[in-house]
Amino acid sequence: MIAIVHSELLRLRRRSLLAAWFGLTASFAIMINFVMFSTAGKGASLPPGAPGVAFPNAAVLAGPDGLVAGLAAASSMFGVVTLSLWAVAAATDYSSGLIRLLVSAQPHRWRLLIGKVVALTAVTAVATTVAMAVCLLVAAPAAGAAGISTAAWGTHPVSTIASAWLNAFAAQLAWGVLGLVIAVLSRSSTVAIAVGVGYVLVVESVVKMAIGGSADWLLGSTLNAVASGGTATLAYGSALGLALVYVAAGLVLASAVVTRRDITD
Amino acid sequence: MANVVTTTGLTRRFGAITAVDRLSIEVPAAGVIGLVGPNGSGKSTLIRMLLGLIRPTSGTATVLGLPITSPAKYAARVGALVESPAFVSGLSARANLVSLARLRRLPLGRVDEVLSIVGLTGRDKEPVGNFSLGMKQRLGIAAALLPDPELLILDEPTNGLDPAGIVEIRGLLRSLGETGRTVIVASHLLAEVQLACDYLVVVRFGELVFAGPMTEMLARSRPHVDLRAEHARDTEKLHAALMAGGWEVDLADDVLRVAATASRSADLNRAATAAGITLSELVVVQESLEDIFLTMTGRTDGELAAARATTPEEAAR
Repeated sequence: MIAIVHSELLRLRRRSLLAAWFGLTASFAIMINFVMFSTAGKGASLPPGAPGVAFPNAAVLAGPDGLVAGLAAASSMFGVVTLSLWAVAAATDYSSGLIRLLVSAQPHRWRLLIGKVVALTAVTAVATTVAMAVCLLVAAPAAGAAGISTAAWGTHPVSTIASAWLNAFAAQLAWGVLGLVIAVLSRSSTVAIAVGVGYVLVVESVVKMAIGGSADWLLGSTLNAVASGGTATLAYGSALGLALVYVAAGLVLASAVVTRRDITD
Repeated sequence: MANVVTTTGLTRRFGAITAVDRLSIEVPAAGVIGLVGPNGSGKSTLIRMLLGLIRPTSGTATVLGLPITSPAKYAARVGALVESPAFVSGLSARANLVSLARLRRLPLGRVDEVLSIVGLTGRDKEPVGNFSLGMKQRLGIAAALLPDPELLILDEPTNGLDPAGIVEIRGLLRSLGETGRTVIVASHLLAEVQLACDYLVVVRFGELVFAGPMTEMLARSRPHVDLRAEHARDTEKLHAALMAGGWEVDLADDVLRVAATASRSADLNRAATAAGITLSELVVVQESLEDIFLTMTGRTDGELAAARATTPEEAAR
């Protein structure tokens, strides 16, 4: 299995792929921090149900968690990036025909799938670290520009950063698995990204508006709750459990499709 | 030595289309084996089934004596290039091969060996996206050679190669076949197959048409001599004279095609002279593998499609 993961990691070491992944992550982290602090500094707030982002108020940002609030606030944006890149990594094997070479060399297809998931998980950990590093770099200047106090940020910084990283990483993994599943089903990164992003930005928002507060179990809301360490309507433990169910179901589905489907690409 | 590939009633259907139809073949070990057939004859489907990429609808098959239901048991002993070579275009040739070598748990020194075999040493650090089709083809062969396979399966290995590259690959195939490996080559280039292969498997509509040594296939050729009279008005007269002499003659335009070997050329010339006709052309023609193949399988794709179609609508399509 180590050999399969190593092989997959070598294929993921594409400059364009990693530049897109880490570049978009860093850009979203910078943008969201400045917009979030600026919005809170003006006492404004996003309209309820705004797709993809959830901003805390100035009081929360001035608290110990304010330092890393951008990571949770941009969870869905990071999620879209992760979903897209996992989808590209999975679908390209099919669209390029590389899957023929891979399966000829390693006919245990489920091992290839697990190897890909482990390798993408490793890159996702790096991307989450990039996001965290950028948040840590830009949070203070963004807060200063918005007139929000950072005096409380020094309280328990290590545990605050560690839990924020873990929560963000867990949410990104679930987004990635979603991208992988759609890509495996569609064998097209374009379709996978369109479906994933369309779901986050349109479908889930519409469903939430239609059924209101009882929609916390939806994927996007669940993963936002995971990234935020829980919300007022969905406790962290419940969100994590639900996310695990989503991930397990996705992996079972992807595994069934990968192992059974004829490779005609 | 046992057969490298054995299939018994192997069948694969895709909906209403039967790509491989109760195919039973035995491919002997060692040497270069040509797998030929018109477009859509089931060659690629057969190769994919042998590699475990798709499952048969019915029938059984073995590769290196092991059932194709367990491709993992023989994957380390088989190398393959299936249809067009596929690589990660943003990575170098070397990085692509290293990733495949890792996947197969092979020593990285093998990457240098196969790069050298296919003549890509020195170009190995360039991104595959910058490669020509011919270079990608070489890289695909290199990837197939990575496990130092007992059985090498190459689907159209000379696609995109220039004439010099084709000659080079032909030499490579011959040398691989001479080292105790078995190389199965699916190709449309019948002249190449004739020069490179020792054994031939011909399929059409997913069914076996011929399987046997190349010499046996070539023995089916019908040598003939083409004659042309100096004056077109004499063609009929010459035709009649030859028929009267007991020759088997076909008339096409102004050319008389006589079933005869090269050793009878002088007899034909004398027969024409005796009839008072001067020949402007006397050409000895030896049928090639391509001629024999076309006789066996049909002349063109359109002819084949029409022959295969079950309804007039299908034939029209």
